[in-house]
Amino acid sequence: MKRIGVFVCWCGTNIANTVNIEAVTEAAGKMPGVVYAGNYKYMCSEIGQSKIKSAIIREKLDRFVVASCSPRMHESTFRKTAAAAGLNPYLVEIANIREHCSWVHKNKGEATAKAIALIRAAVAKAARDKELWATQIPVEHRALVIGGGIGGIQAALDIADAGFEVDLVERTPSIGGHMAQLDKTFPTLDCSACILTPKMGEAASHPKITLYTYSEVEKVDGYVGNFEATIRKKARSVDLEKCTGCGICWEKCPSRVKSEFDEALSMRKAIYIPFPQAVPNVPVIDRASCRWFTREKCGICRKTCPAGAVNFDQEDEVLQKKYGAIVVATGFDVLDLDDFGEYSYGKHPDVLTSLEFERILNSSGPTGGRLLRPSNQSPPKNVVFIQCVGSRDKSRGKPYCSKICCMYSAKHVILFKEKYPEAQAYVFYIDIRTAGKDFEEFHRRAVEEYGALYLKGSAGKVFPDGDKLLVKGVDSLSGHALEIEADMVVLATAIKAKSDAPQLARLLGISTDTHAFFMEAHPKLRPVEAHTAGIFLAGACQGPKDIPETVSQASGAAAKAIVLLSKENLLSDPCVSEVNESLCTGCLACIKVCPYSAITEKTIEEKIHGKALQRRVAEVNVALCQGCGSCTVSCRPGAVNLKGFTNEQIMAEVDAICL
Amino acid sequence: MKQLSERIKEAAFGSLSSGQVEMVIGWQKGPLWWQSFPAFITDPGETASLIWDPFSVSNLNKYLLNEVPKKKIALFLKGCDALGFNQLLRDGRVEREKVLLFGIPCDGLVDPARVEATGLSKGLLQVKKEREELVFYYKEGQRKAPARDFYYSKCLSCRYPNPVTCDEMLGEAVPCQPLERFANVSKLEAASLEERFTYWSRHFSRCIRCFACRNVCPACSCRECIFDIAEPRWLGKAKESGETLFYHITRAYHVAGRCVDCGECARICPLGIPLAELNRKFIKDINELYGEYDAGADLDKEAPLLTFKSDDPDVSA
Ligand SMILES: Cc1cc2nc3c(=O)[nH]c(=O)nc-3n(C[C@H](O)[C@H](O)[C@H](O)COP(=O)(O)OP(=O)(O)OC[C@H]3O[C@@H](n4cnc5c(N)ncnc54)[C@H](O)[C@@H]3O)c2cc1C
Ligand code: SF4
Ligand code: SF4
Ligand code: SF4
Ligand code: SF4
Ligand code: SF4
Repeated sequence: MKRIGVFVCWCGTNIANTVNIEAVTEAAGKMPGVVYAGNYKYMCSEIGQSKIKSAIIREKLDRFVVASCSPRMHESTFRKTAAAAGLNPYLVEIANIREHCSWVHKNKGEATAKAIALIRAAVAKAARDKELWATQIPVEHRALVIGGGIGGIQAALDIADAGFEVDLVERTPSIGGHMAQLDKTFPTLDCSACILTPKMGEAASHPKITLYTYSEVEKVDGYVGNFEATIRKKARSVDLEKCTGCGICWEKCPSRVKSEFDEALSMRKAIYIPFPQAVPNVPVIDRASCRWFTREKCGICRKTCPAGAVNFDQEDEVLQKKYGAIVVATGFDVLDLDDFGEYSYGKHPDVLTSLEFERILNSSGPTGGRLLRPSNQSPPKNVVFIQCVGSRDKSRGKPYCSKICCMYSAKHVILFKEKYPEAQAYVFYIDIRTAGKDFEEFHRRAVEEYGALYLKGSAGKVFPDGDKLLVKGVDSLSGHALEIEADMVVLATAIKAKSDAPQLARLLGISTDTHAFFMEAHPKLRPVEAHTAGIFLAGACQGPKDIPETVSQASGAAAKAIVLLSKENLLSDPCVSEVNESLCTGCLACIKVCPYSAITEKTIEEKIHGKALQRRVAEVNVALCQGCGSCTVSCRPGAVNLKGFTNEQIMAEVDAICL
Repeated sequence: MKQLSERIKEAAFGSLSSGQVEMVIGWQKGPLWWQSFPAFITDPGETASLIWDPFSVSNLNKYLLNEVPKKKIALFLKGCDALGFNQLLRDGRVEREKVLLFGIPCDGLVDPARVEATGLSKGLLQVKKEREELVFYYKEGQRKAPARDFYYSKCLSCRYPNPVTCDEMLGEAVPCQPLERFANVSKLEAASLEERFTYWSRHFSRCIRCFACRNVCPACSCRECIFDIAEPRWLGKAKESGETLFYHITRAYHVAGRCVDCGECARICPLGIPLAELNRKFIKDINELYGEYDAGADLDKEAPLLTFKSDDPDVSA
């Protein structure tokens, strides 16, 4: 007979207020196999745990149930308690009578009955617990960082400084991300390039960092400590080693297309570096617009390159690499304004997104930093800034606040007024949100020192009117309808998740929230970890963020990765699946559903009627299995079973609740 | 039919006497007019007892699961049987190299119950098929009637009367003119939740859990079925409506996406429970959600319930 102990936790008043602890303890004491039932105010505290330990010894318990909060909170705590008292840690079950019971019920009688039923199920499961042993799995001491914006650069630098090798994979020809496109940065107005370029250089020259620009991660297999990634280095058509970055090629190239980096406000060549400070300072050939590749004519760059670096025959290179940890820092996109026709964006050249405005302000931008109206190159006198374009807009845009627009709009006002002190800035806003260090002060400067007219309300429509723009809106404080004649209109366009974030999430096996931002493991307590062990999140890919927040999260993600990479071995969870070969029919349904490719087929031999028969069965690789349980539901005869959560145990739980 | 019978005997004799196969599985006549049984023949001398008649309805391919051949086994397949064979193949339960398949085009077989219902069974000695007609033999003489009036309903909606797979086809291809197979499903779909629940509860309350529907099914090829396993006991033994519902819902889910719609389960059920309607509801849903998929026939397509595509519809929504 099993000797089961049950320990009921009050969780202060969290459980005790809604569940009759004494009644539950008494009922638990009478359950089959239970030889001891007790309760305490905080079972997870030192005192609570020592009560469990002494009961194990005094009552000769061979397993126990803790009725408390979710196992996500304290399962590992109580497993350690068991181990400290000499019990195998997998002989512990948690009955969740907090999240599943006291927190979701009001009626004490009903909650008490439910708590008893939950404990009965846990006791039935515990009675069928078997000892399980964790095995050691070695850790690959290298990290992969996906995305080379400021978030990815910071994470790579921190991990590399701790002594681990890092591969930094960036999709575009240069690292830098959106920060490279910005002019000056709030709230200090230091020039973005001035603080970013040294970081980019540091990343490029760090002995532990390998940059893979113009590259993409195509596939990720494996698991924490032992990921295996397939990286495609797209053909640059220029030899990274030979090129000196002299720039003759892109000077001579006759093919011109719109520059992505300048938000299509300027032209670049088919062979190009996206911006002057690009790292690496080696151009790529955009084969879609190169005359050699489209018409097999030209070849000027190859002819003129003094280093002989241009190589039209270069092919994509596909690398397989192993990593212990992965940091995802793929950043954000800005919302497409197709659905916002009322602002005349795309119809009038003087209506710009905020990112386009950044480029126009920027001294390395399309206008060389001269702030002129795109339509006629004249200095603007009145500029209207419209905030929350697509943010906090459930119907057409995003319901969330993009968080950075209030601040960068204030920055835009200041930069504009610095250039044209006599001009006037108007800002349409819903609310002003400046909760950050020195943020409110910064915003007040825009209002008080630079005289920006902040109008609470919405700008309903922007019409072209002669060579001006007419902005119609409502000042909701006074209730007056407004009409402002503007030279330029700047739209603070919402930040959104990268459009391919769901695909990347699928590739990595991590989750996204309803807006396709990557989801953290816990919004408060584990904000830099993904749900999948060994994968960490940094920057705007997890939600709208400014640079300081991105950098802090990147350093946090790096610290978590460093903790992981510093370990020689990880303990593997022994709750993995196993195949009962005598039941397995070899249909291989399980192989198809296993998300970790942990199942393979093998051939076994057995004797039937004296004849040797070979047949195919499934086999679980315990090092790869993550215990997700998908296979167990795909297996019709129930041949594959998850240790610690066996079919027998689950059926016993169901019976305990229902019968 | 006569001709086909001869060709079956010849094929069986040839493959056994040449040593190509070590066993032939076919049909033999029993003592009564409606009895045509599976026969397992290893001696070439006994192949003359094999027959093909309007009652050769048993699907032979599940018997392969019990055999461990050194060489090959020869087997006769009708259209519906061929679909089931393909499913066994797909589930890894038979080895293609270990079987020699003779295909039989079949335009329909006779349901003895329909013969009984017309009263023709009284004193009936033998039934033969002559082209489109059945000939009923009595001591006193014979009577004729259109064959199609006596066919199993599964035959009337058969979409593959000519086997989709075999090594050698015996006989000429027959025309295919199936009735719409989802007609009843659509009717049920239109009914209210209560009506549907009553409909199925009523039917299932008659089930005696003989498991014949499972035993005959080519998609039910597990070494040990969960309904037979003692620990954990998934299915209780008590005659209790919840247990019977559990059996039927689980069985239907287990064959979902693999049911070839051979109609054997519904045919075999001694209580006439319309299992085909349940199976076809799943088939219809799968077709509508994931695109047309014909288990047993579409061997080159991926099984929709075992594949994940990022554009799969969200069924929960
Ligand atoms: C108009 C505007 C003005 C702003 N002004 C300020 C300011 O003044 N001060 C401030 O603090 N913040 C400002 N910000 C916010 C700032 O831009 C972000 O906080 C910062 O860029 C976030 O960095 P990140 O590394 O997370 O993302 P990003 O900068 O977006 O970098 C992500 C990088 O990942 C790469 N990538 C994406 N997907 C993949 C993939 N699958 N594989 C490989 N690489 C990939 C991208 O090419 C990119 O290089 C502003 C933003 C905007 C839009
Ligand atoms: S699903 Fe079950 S029966 Fe099929 S191969 Fe896997 S373990 Fe075996
Ligand atoms: S539990 Fe099964 S499906 Fe999940 S990882 Fe393990 S083997 Fe794969
Ligand atoms: S469930 Fe019925 S119709 Fe479907 S394959 Fe099995 S026996 Fe044939
Ligand atoms: S009912 Fe399920 S477990 Fe039983 S034989 Fe059919 S598929 Fe296998
Ligand atoms: S064959 Fe009919 S009676 Fe027998 S188990 Fe199946 S449904 Fe029930």
